[in-house]
Amino acid sequence: MSATVTAPASGASSGPTTEHTPVRNVTFWRVLRSEWIKLWTLRSTWWTLGATVVVMVGFALMLAFVSQFLADQMEGASPEEQAAMGGMLGGPAVVAAGFEMAALVVAVLGALMITGEYSTGMIRSTFAAVPARLPAFFGKAVVLILVTAVLTAVSLALSWLVTYPLLNPNDATVDFGDSDQVRALFGTVLYVTLVALFALGLGALLRHTAGAIFTVVAIFLVVPVIVQVATLAATQLEWIGTVNKLLPSVAGAQITPNAGAFPDVLDPWVGIGVLAGYTALVLVGAATRLKLQDA
Amino acid sequence: MIEARGLMKRYGAKTAVNDVTFTVQPGQVTGFLGPNGAGKSTTMRMIVGLDRPTAGSVTVNGKPYTAHRRPLAEVGALLDAKAVHTGRTARNHLLAMAATHGIATKRVDEVIELTGLQSVASKRVGGFSLGMGQRLGIAAALLGDPRTLILDEPVNGLDPEGVLWVRNIAKYLASEGRTVFLSSHLMSEVALTADHVIVIGRGRILADAPVAEFVDGAARKTVRVRSPQATELADLLKAKNAEIDDVEPGLIEVRGTDAVTVGELAAASRIVLHELTPVASTLEEAYMSLTADAVEYQSEDLAHVAAATSHTEGSKA
Repeated sequence: MSATVTAPASGASSGPTTEHTPVRNVTFWRVLRSEWIKLWTLRSTWWTLGATVVVMVGFALMLAFVSQFLADQMEGASPEEQAAMGGMLGGPAVVAAGFEMAALVVAVLGALMITGEYSTGMIRSTFAAVPARLPAFFGKAVVLILVTAVLTAVSLALSWLVTYPLLNPNDATVDFGDSDQVRALFGTVLYVTLVALFALGLGALLRHTAGAIFTVVAIFLVVPVIVQVATLAATQLEWIGTVNKLLPSVAGAQITPNAGAFPDVLDPWVGIGVLAGYTALVLVGAATRLKLQDA
Repeated sequence: MIEARGLMKRYGAKTAVNDVTFTVQPGQVTGFLGPNGAGKSTTMRMIVGLDRPTAGSVTVNGKPYTAHRRPLAEVGALLDAKAVHTGRTARNHLLAMAATHGIATKRVDEVIELTGLQSVASKRVGGFSLGMGQRLGIAAALLGDPRTLILDEPVNGLDPEGVLWVRNIAKYLASEGRTVFLSSHLMSEVALTADHVIVIGRGRILADAPVAEFVDGAARKTVRVRSPQATELADLLKAKNAEIDDVEPGLIEVRGTDAVTVGELAAASRIVLHELTPVASTLEEAYMSLTADAVEYQSEDLAHVAAATSHTEGSKA
């Protein structure tokens, strides 16, 4: 072809259009594929996903040992006492022990998916290819939901597997015939996935990695501790209890096996609905800013 | 084809682009020339829908960029060097971009080869030199085989070979009937590459003309005259329709006439000359003075330039 368009480093003789290049319309499905490629071609993804599994399995193993130790101590205790112990450290509670830490690790992944694009300038390439912008954002959300849900489920399965030899002799493993236990494990997947989505939304709102991660940690870790100290210190103030039960972490965790003991809590499904509501609010705010503001 | 109509962008109190109207025609390379901060990048960002205009509108191939169903087939844009995630490899970046438009992997490898990136395609972009980053940006711009190319400072950071390559590819793409819009703050670069030039300064269009015409108009000769009676001489020259620049007391620069005329006029009026030097201003100087005016003076001078601009625009159409 034309000698004027050779690539100097290679001496390639192809022009920019050696032949017709098929280019198809942008569809949500194609955007989804693009976001899928983007996720798996970054090392940070593998690090955060690996860390999630390690945290989940590690916590489960640790708690399984504690559970076995307690069981040894309880040899010869009355059946009522044993039942109380089993309720405290039952199979699901052990298997899902690391869910809060795992949620924070996955939150880092969620935030990075968008803030990483803002900090590197990639967002301009993304929006040049998908000028409607929202499909790219929702594509990220769908990919994040898929990956987080599968990852959490796999982590739970692994945790169940490695703790089984420790728990089974004491008859403390997960009872899959118990719908409450199954619901609690399913709820753990829901909780972790919602926190990841919450972080994605915050990332798009703040456009800053450290800011987004700090905010997630503050909302899910720091504020709950402060409020819980306040509930203990000022039991006569009813509104603090109300604030506590409406916190994203406390409300969302009711569905999990590790809800924490509070006098006043929401029903598990209402609680996870409240967390979903907060997440939806953040996502709507993020989508609005994404759509209206200069990239 | 790119058409901007009354395009304006304000950031708070600062007006980056002020009521800009121009058309970039297909089949030629159009240079977008202006000093740093003149509004080139902002204008280009508005063309591809990254920034929302405060007022006015801009269309590419007849539609706003965001209304196109296959934007990468309409416009390939290289906007400020690294709009790429530093943690991803060059090839993976292109694959992710290609996926949005269902572009085949074959095409990705094609643009990698075309831009000479084979040896670094599987390396992460974070370690790229500015030149490699530019090549990757151009590869991404070519991915969708676009009808219009927008290249913001494409030769920045390129080695001489790379600069030549960009010039050739810009010309080649234009010769295929595509629209090529290329910005630079270097007059010489635009003079070598472009067929048409749009000059922007302080957010306003200062000139919009074929390069040859702009060069002829800009490269006027001036005559430097040093004389103790410079003011007197200046009045005489003004009467003969020459343009005078007062450089400093006793030193003027005369345009619109030549050294012979100035010398004879001075002799006839018994004016003492200490220096009489014909100065051929370079293109670079002409461009500098044009854009410097835009910074130093306000609406009066701009109105003058704008009138000249609309004149050239009319003649070109």
